[in-house]
Parts: sequence; C-alpha cells; structure tokens
Amino acid sequence: MGNCLKRATTDDISLLRGSDSVRETSSDQLGPSPYQETLPIQAASPVYHPSPSVTRSVGQLTEEEQVKIAKRIGLIQHLPTGTYDGCKKARECVICMVEFIVGDTVRYLPCMHTYHKSCIDDWLMRSLTCPSCMEPVDAALLTSYETN
Amino acid sequence: MAGLSPSERRLQKELMSLMKEPPPGVVVDVDLAEQNILQWIIQMEGVSGTLYEGEQFQLQFKFSRKYPFDSPEVTFIGANIPVHPHVYSNGHICLSILTDDWSPALSVQSVCLSIVSMLSSCKEKKRPPDNAFYVKTCNKNPKKTKWWYHDDSV
Repeated sequence: MGNCLKRATTDDISLLRGSDSVRETSSDQLGPSPYQETLPIQAASPVYHPSPSVTRSVGQLTEEEQVKIAKRIGLIQHLPTGTYDGCKKARECVICMVEFIVGDTVRYLPCMHTYHKSCIDDWLMRSLTCPSCMEPVDAALLTSYETN
Repeated sequence: MAGLSPSERRLQKELMSLMKEPPPGVVVDVDLAEQNILQWIIQMEGVSGTLYEGEQFQLQFKFSRKYPFDSPEVTFIGANIPVHPHVYSNGHICLSILTDDWSPALSVQSVCLSIVSMLSSCKEKKRPPDNAFYVKTCNKNPKKTKWWYHDDSV
C-alpha cells in the first residue's frame, strides 16, 4: 500500500465534506455533549492512544506509534460526516448511549454504522474498528473506494 | 443529569437499565453504585442445569474516567470464586472482551452475559493450568496482564 493519505485532492470530494481536524472541538454543538477527552492539568499537551488501553503524551510516542497515529488521523478525515436528519435506522449513539437529536453532527463508517462525530473520532483515534460490528475501518474504506 | 461527565452519564444510564431489566440471575447493588458510580458490585447466580447451579458469585466492576473507551476492570471477589479454566483463584478472568477485544459498544450488561455464558458452557470445573504461578506473580489489576487467549471453547 502506498502513501495515499496525503493526496487528498485526487480523492472523491464528497468524502471530504466536513473533513476538519480530528482534534478540533466544536463548542457550538447543541444537544448532548458527546465524549471529549478531559485533560485535568496538562490540557495543552494532547494525549494519544496507540491502542485503546495505552495512553501517551506526544513526547512519549515511539516513531512507529507516531506513524500509526498520523495514518489514523488521515484516514478518519476521509470518513464522511453529516447532520442527523431523524433517520429511523440509527436512533442512538451506542458510545454515549444518548439518542440522536436532529442536527447532531454524526459520522458514517463504511459499514454504515453511525455515531456522534466526536464520540466515534475519540474511539477511532484508539482503534480503527467499528464498535458495533468490529469491522476494520481502513480495509472497509479501501474496498468502498474500489467498488464505487 | 446535568453536571455529569460523559462517562458518568453513560454509567448512570447503564445502571438504570440494569436495575430495570437485569439479565436473568444478575443483580446490581444499586446503592453502592450510586455512592460511587465508578465501582459496582454485581451478584451473579449460577445458571440451573450447569455446573454452577445453586452457586452465588460476586463480580466487581471498576471503571476509569475514560469509560467506555477504556474497558472496565472486572474481577470475581468474595468467598466464592468460580472454579473455571478461565478464572484464576484470585478472581482474575481471562476473557478477551475485557482487554484486547473491548469495544465501546459493549456494556456492563453484555460483559455480564458473556461471563454467564462462559460459566454455563464449562464442561469441567478446574482452575487454569498456570493458576499457582499466575496468582503469585500477577499485577493486582488484571488489565495489566498480557493475556494469551488460547482457548475459545469454554
């Protein structure tokens, strides 16, 4: 697999809608406030999770982990986001267990499972799998590019 | 539920649903959980028709502030630790969803169901082969153990 993450301009533009930075916090969000990492003291220094149970500050990351996380960030940005429109198929974000409210910012995974954007981004930064079906998001994303 | 952190809010919801619709044989100590939402005690009954019929077990769940991104720490506590090939005599449980295969879509309820089913499918009551060594050398926190999930049959 080549370094395809950087070449955003050649990709399907529709996938890039709302592809803002993963660490960005949206303060104007209405409704339930989904998960956001709360950092007690050293709020300035973000922490990362090479795997779900491992927490490291930027300085503690090995080179391999940095690459892993950079790839993750790149990939997450390619996953479509949208606004919850009252669709009956997805009623609740299974991460925060709060029902979706029309207008919530949501993210769609290739398996079509839907979550609050900030909830799922927090998980994807730890593991690139769908929490509901455990499908690896990176493999599924590549397949969806090939078939569409 | 204003003023609660997202993990506390989710745990409150889980507590309410576990209280209202508990899986069969599972009872959560609500008072204790309400005193400290990050530490629950759950009573579990051995299912009738299985090797654990008539037995009572106690499970302790400890949650971190990163729950549900971080898996809960789940151990058997108390006088009766089930004798099972995946349960060490100190209460530690070798179950992949508690570490490597954890997902934030899992819940206290689904963990309880997994443990009930793990016990119910047991064919022979015995401790894990490395019990004595593990119990002597392990960390107090089972999540610190690098588990090697070698057997999916029970």
